Amino acid sequence: MFETQETEPIIELEKVGIRYGRGPEVLSNIDLSLQRGSFHFLTGKSGAGKTSLLSMMYLWQKPSRGRLSIFGNNVNFANRNSLSLFRRRIGVVFQDFRLLEHVSAFDNVALPLRVSGMNEKEIRKRVNELLKWVEIDRSTSAITSTLSGGEKQRVAIARAVINRPDILLADEPTGNVDNDIATKLMKLFVELNKLGTTVVIATHNENLINEFKYPCICLKNHNLTIVPAGERKNDMEI
Amino acid sequence: MIWKFKSSRHQELPLSKDSSNLFLKIMISISVFLFAVTLAGVLAINSMLVNWNASILGSLTVQIVPVSNSDRQKAHEEMLEQEQRAVALLSAMPEAKKVTALSEDQLQRLLRPWLGDDVDINELPMPRLIDVRLKSGAEINFKQLAEKLATVAPQASLDNHKLWLNKLINFAAGLKVLALAVLLLVIGVTSGAIFYTTQTSLGLHRDVIEILHIMGAKDTYIAQQYAGRTAWLGAVGGIIGVALAVPVIFLIAHLAHQIEGGIIDEARLSMGSWLAIVSLPVFSSLVAMQTAYYTVKRTLERMM
Ligand SMILES: Nc1ncnc2c1ncn2[C@@H]1O[C@H](COP(=O)(O)OP(=O)(O)O)[C@@H](O)[C@H]1O
Ligand SMILES: [Mg+2]
Repeated sequence: MFETQETEPIIELEKVGIRYGRGPEVLSNIDLSLQRGSFHFLTGKSGAGKTSLLSMMYLWQKPSRGRLSIFGNNVNFANRNSLSLFRRRIGVVFQDFRLLEHVSAFDNVALPLRVSGMNEKEIRKRVNELLKWVEIDRSTSAITSTLSGGEKQRVAIARAVINRPDILLADEPTGNVDNDIATKLMKLFVELNKLGTTVVIATHNENLINEFKYPCICLKNHNLTIVPAGERKNDMEI
Repeated sequence: MIWKFKSSRHQELPLSKDSSNLFLKIMISISVFLFAVTLAGVLAINSMLVNWNASILGSLTVQIVPVSNSDRQKAHEEMLEQEQRAVALLSAMPEAKKVTALSEDQLQRLLRPWLGDDVDINELPMPRLIDVRLKSGAEINFKQLAEKLATVAPQASLDNHKLWLNKLINFAAGLKVLALAVLLLVIGVTSGAIFYTTQTSLGLHRDVIEILHIMGAKDTYIAQQYAGRTAWLGAVGGIIGVALAVPVIFLIAHLAHQIEGGIIDEARLSMGSWLAIVSLPVFSSLVAMQTAYYTVKRTLERMM
């Protein structure tokens, strides 16, 4: 890696393997070190293991072997309570949003703040502000299941960034929007990154990768390679 | 205390729509109903025991029945002799405070209301009576005492009523233990039902719980939502159960009072007892809440 090595990596994987049940390893011998404040795309064909790698980074999927460290802590030795505390510092945009469909947009966005025990007055202020920013301010109290796909996506992104996470993981956040909106969302992630958030975005969108010059984490044949910003390798599959 | 009103305000888990809610509400209502009626029984037995014990403690009466002998003089002497030995035995008891053999005068006075003034008592085969005052708090084993008395004074007999009351007390005390066991059983069965419905519900809401966990929610955050919901069910079920139980308790009490003999009369429920029964919904709510809370904590630790 060409990045500076002086600072401690915020996420570090060493000889990590992921498998589901008794199936074959989806990813094998993964070594990866993400510096604080870095920005990466995550690419690979469908089924390559992008979602699996991200779910390990948001501390849901446990590595079936190897070491995963986050914020300088070996996750293998962390107890349930500290896992919860680590997760509060990670924002996630899921591929399928995974919003709570039966509560309002407001309650969805407020969720990360409520689980960490913030008082309702402060929550109201922050959530309304952000919802206005992602242009959901008309339908904040509408039940989430009645929102359009685009609105749900913005709610999902708002939920991921509401508590200014140290790490933002987004799983194909621009999957089903047109290029204009995709670019707008990317600009939001770039802004967050400038404020210090470490960002990893799984995407198929070649235009974005070409437009925004960030390095790529490429998954292929159960292995991982890093392609530096602006470069294209022949074996890079999107 | 696990109860936090602050976090009970938001409910990300749609628990109020769980289909097991109706089952739990009915289950808790029935349990509280059974609990209330049984508790009323225990409390009634208790007050009965207190009254009976009070009448049994304090004092006892020993009767020396005349010996049947054709020689009246000899029979009378034999009776007095037995009376003396009985008095000696009773006075030696550590529980006895004061032992008095009733004199002829006193006996006559006792009998006058029945026999009138004209009857010469000496002509009749009159029993002798010994009055024993007991030290406060003393408990007498009536059966043992009767046996001991029989060895020194075969004609002596203990006050029948008290002997019978003593047996009744033992029976009632046994009944009380049984009722207490039923109370524990009711709590156990209800907690079990709450345990299993809560576990089922956790499986049902797995998706939401996963999201909450990924957002950094601790198990307690989820447990509090379950505790809040189940406390509510416990309170509602408890109120229904008590509302059904109170008329039934009155009905049973009414029927019991019609039994002659005044035994059941002693079984009055005090103000405190009624207060305990009426406050059962608070109790059921607390038990339900605690059970749900610990079920969630335990299950989540194993589930994910
Ligand atoms: N929960 C799961 N159980 C079993 N296999 C899974 C599960 N999730 C993903 N997989 C498998 O792991 C591989 C990688 O999937 P995924 O990480 O979703 O890839 P991507 O996000 O790149 O499309 C796929 O072959 C998929 O079938
Ligand atoms: Mg995927």
